Amino acid sequence: MKKRISGLVLFGVVLIGLLIIAGCGQSNTSTGGDSKTSEAKPIVIGVATALGSIEGADSLRAVELAVEEVNAGGGITVKGEKRPLKIVSIDTREHEPGLPVHDALAALEKLITQEKPDAMLVGSFRSEVMLSAMDLIAKYKVPNIVSIAMTPEFEKKLQTNYENYKYNFRMGLTSANLVQYLSKTMDFIGKEHGFKKAYIVNQEVLWAEGTAKGVKKYLEANGWQVIGKDTYATGASDFSASLTKAKNGGAEVIIPIFDMPQSGVLLKQARSMKVPALMAGFISPAAPDSAWKTFDGEVDGLVNFVFEIGPLPVKAVNKSMTFNDNFGKKFGVDQQAKMGGHGPGPAYDSVFVLTDAIKRADSLEANAVVDALKKTDMEGVIGKIKFNENHQVIYDIDPKTSAIGSAFQWVDGKRIPVFPEAAAEAKIKLPEFMNK
Amino acid sequence: MEASVLIFGLVNSATLMLVALGFSLIFGLSGVANLAHGGIYLFSGYVTWMLMNYLGVPFLLAVPLTIIIAGVLGALIYWVALKRVRGLHLSEVIATFAVGVAILELFRWMGFVTYEFTLPVFIKGSVDIAGVSIDYQRLLIIGIGLLLAFALWVFSRYTKMGLALRGMAQDEYTALSIGIDSDWAAALSMALGSAIAAIAAISILPLGIISINMGYEVLIMALAVSVVGGLESITGLVVASIILGFAKTITGTYFDPKWMEVIYLFALVLVLAIKPSGLFGKFKELEERV
Amino acid sequence: MSAKVGYRKERLDRGIKARTDDIFAISTYREILYLILPRVFVIAGLLIFPLLGDFTGVYWQNVIVITCTIALLALSWDLLHSVGLVSLGQAVFFGVGAYITGFLAQQFGLPPLVTIPLATVFGALVCTMLLYPVLRLRGVYFGLITFALPLLFMRIIETTKVLGGTEGMSGLPALPSIAISLYIIITITLVCVFGFQRLFETDYGLVLKAIKDNDRSVIAAGFNISWFKAQAVFIAALPATFAGAFLTHHYQFVGIPAFATDYSILPLASAIVGGPGSFFGAMLGAFLLVPLSELLRDLGTLRIVIYSVILLIFVVGLPEGLYPYLRRKYFQFERVVSMELEEGGK
Repeated sequence: MKKRISGLVLFGVVLIGLLIIAGCGQSNTSTGGDSKTSEAKPIVIGVATALGSIEGADSLRAVELAVEEVNAGGGITVKGEKRPLKIVSIDTREHEPGLPVHDALAALEKLITQEKPDAMLVGSFRSEVMLSAMDLIAKYKVPNIVSIAMTPEFEKKLQTNYENYKYNFRMGLTSANLVQYLSKTMDFIGKEHGFKKAYIVNQEVLWAEGTAKGVKKYLEANGWQVIGKDTYATGASDFSASLTKAKNGGAEVIIPIFDMPQSGVLLKQARSMKVPALMAGFISPAAPDSAWKTFDGEVDGLVNFVFEIGPLPVKAVNKSMTFNDNFGKKFGVDQQAKMGGHGPGPAYDSVFVLTDAIKRADSLEANAVVDALKKTDMEGVIGKIKFNENHQVIYDIDPKTSAIGSAFQWVDGKRIPVFPEAAAEAKIKLPEFMNK
Repeated sequence: MEASVLIFGLVNSATLMLVALGFSLIFGLSGVANLAHGGIYLFSGYVTWMLMNYLGVPFLLAVPLTIIIAGVLGALIYWVALKRVRGLHLSEVIATFAVGVAILELFRWMGFVTYEFTLPVFIKGSVDIAGVSIDYQRLLIIGIGLLLAFALWVFSRYTKMGLALRGMAQDEYTALSIGIDSDWAAALSMALGSAIAAIAAISILPLGIISINMGYEVLIMALAVSVVGGLESITGLVVASIILGFAKTITGTYFDPKWMEVIYLFALVLVLAIKPSGLFGKFKELEERV
Repeated sequence: MSAKVGYRKERLDRGIKARTDDIFAISTYREILYLILPRVFVIAGLLIFPLLGDFTGVYWQNVIVITCTIALLALSWDLLHSVGLVSLGQAVFFGVGAYITGFLAQQFGLPPLVTIPLATVFGALVCTMLLYPVLRLRGVYFGLITFALPLLFMRIIETTKVLGGTEGMSGLPALPSIAISLYIIITITLVCVFGFQRLFETDYGLVLKAIKDNDRSVIAAGFNISWFKAQAVFIAALPATFAGAFLTHHYQFVGIPAFATDYSILPLASAIVGGPGSFFGAMLGAFLLVPLSELLRDLGTLRIVIYSVILLIFVVGLPEGLYPYLRRKYFQFERVVSMELEEGGK
């Protein structure tokens, strides 16, 4: 018995050892963007986000790609010295439901205090972590350009104590912008096809709930009839109740707003229940290019969003096309096809926004960089990049004057941009099951 | 409306029953509260996916293979982890919980978090019943659920092996004295329960996308159904699934879908507080409280 | 009967242990040191640590804060375990404490000095009342209900949007400085660990221990065990609710992650690894596991897997835990003695 037990312990120790070795092997490869160009002290960019999540992983890849491009040009010149960029990253694991906020903040603080980054990019995954991280950023005074968490509270909090929180900028879309986009897309669909009856289904999380309420308000004020609005808890896997109600109520458009994997069930279930309505909204699993294969073509006709263009090549924005090509070249076409609809675009751009600001400030000092960042005005893969007075990139419908997100429709295995008009490449077609 | 409540209520009940069968079987037969259930469930889903996509095994072959692999995994968990802590309820619970978390988080670490993991349905398409369109897969879930429950009922009552396992659960010493091998019985029940979890995974997962957090959700569902029904009775399991499944659908249709996922937890806590042995549990009544 | 000679190990108390057991008046310095050195080492180490702020850096200071938090939760678990209640959801206590503080601080603008003690006591009361109906449950049933409770609370807050909903409450008043925070939580941890140890040496503690060993005989002896269990839950909840309240102010934030499963798993793992039943073990476990997990942070999710494997090894292979092992080595020595084997003996 005694012998057996020590055998088990030995087995366990060996197992743990193997796991750690495997882990180290993997974590080493992920810190890309090394500085082989020169011996100058590199400019350190910190990325602390949920690297295990789709958005986080893609964003880090996008940052790596951008850093590689900058370093290929020899880096950036600060005070007459050419310095390369270097990425340090840490996994905050925020996408795991069982994770306490303090753990994510500890990771962030570790990165800031130990690696002393000159700026932070991508930033928190969960809204509540981002809000509490703003206090940490205020403490360490590091320029922080976030691009994943979407809560509008960001701007409110920034206003409450501007001097304190001015180091934070946001490149990603906010839920307020999303409401705007969805509403306008609905207008567009309404005009085109004469639809007036909508059904909203959304996830029980803050950004989705806020977006759904905003859309509902807008639709009702603009002559639509909202037959129903249902909320589902994260993890729900049966949507028959809402679909039945939508079908019986004669809904012409179903507006889903979800970022959980289970929302794939909604898509499939609607198809199997033969609900004769156009789906137009956000379903995260159906956003990547690979979704056609995943859903075996059942996404056909779905109108979905990419929050910021970039992962979706849009012909009107040239850079978004080259970004996709280069992403595919560096990480493989497979990886490019899996890119989610939120994160990578602004993450990629944030590197150039930052380097641009550093060049203009000709300094790495946080306050100088912040002042330069405020005056950002450049073309990126997400369109025109300008910050408003609350350090939020302005999103609107014309890529020549603002950043854009885009609605696209799945047609024959391809994602075709359909909104905003300035970026549209085709009109919204009704899927076959609706043309009776 | 009523027809759809009836049909989707049945689907939900069958889903719950399938998910809970494996868990309940293991508890009923060997007294182990197998908290690795969710881990095994998702493990089966990913194994099928890997067999099909990495090794190119056809679906029809991947299914039995996965069921066997899951069964072996169950037996392995017993031999490696549970055998030495048999009878120590606390240690069993912690050990299986640790195994479950390890399995789930290992998959998370290996990058199984993207949106490409789906299993194919058995038969594509859908059919109209009483004005409600329903896909064959959901009908199949009802069928498989009923079939499995019936098979298990027959197994545990009318086969020698089933009787031996039940005897073990009721009184280990007496069972030992008439020549039933305790370890063998427990390992077998773990293997059976895990195989059933695999069957559940293969029938339910094609409805959507496989994602890690479902492992934890599934565990809660299985716990709720088993506790409400009574931890060792198949009748209780069926009744509890029907109660919870319909409660879920009715809440979603007539009340508000956001409460649908709260029902399990609420039922779980309520039943544990009032009648821990569940609606149909009998012979553990004396042991459960003082 | 030809006796075969075999060998076995025998454990004996060290001489110094035997000499220092009772009469201190005639002890030498060496013997006194033998007795108090381990304690002094722990206490002094913890009290000096905050002074080394410049050397350790803020990051490791924060790690110790979190370590103490988990240690407090582990102590709470250990106390419940000593009464025969196995909790799989320490997050309940933590979350209740955290939310009460957050609510008090946000609604009434009270300073941490008021909210933390209030939340500690009031939170412990709330938890006791919550658990009172299920205290009579035995075996896995109590574990299952504590497992479900934090999940239920999370869902309810998420669905009803009370107390800040999924967004939580942020921007709560902060504690003055990290050094002060450290001293507060380290002191509380030390008080709890020594206090609990003492408590279980009293007659009162004896009753609590007896409930775990054989509840029916305690009933037969005329004790109202529900009442005793309720008191034990209250005492056990105190450090846990304090931990919740404290960490809320430390990070100026409370939200549904306060009921996160990590707050249930880590304390459980700490207590199991350290050795359940001896409060020092729970603390030792926390002080090993939490810093270890920080060192393994680069491995991402893999560290949860490693954690689980460690937990499994300890539960299955070394159920005794580390602390009793170390304690035995300190107080006792082993030697091999020969013995006569009976026939058929091994």
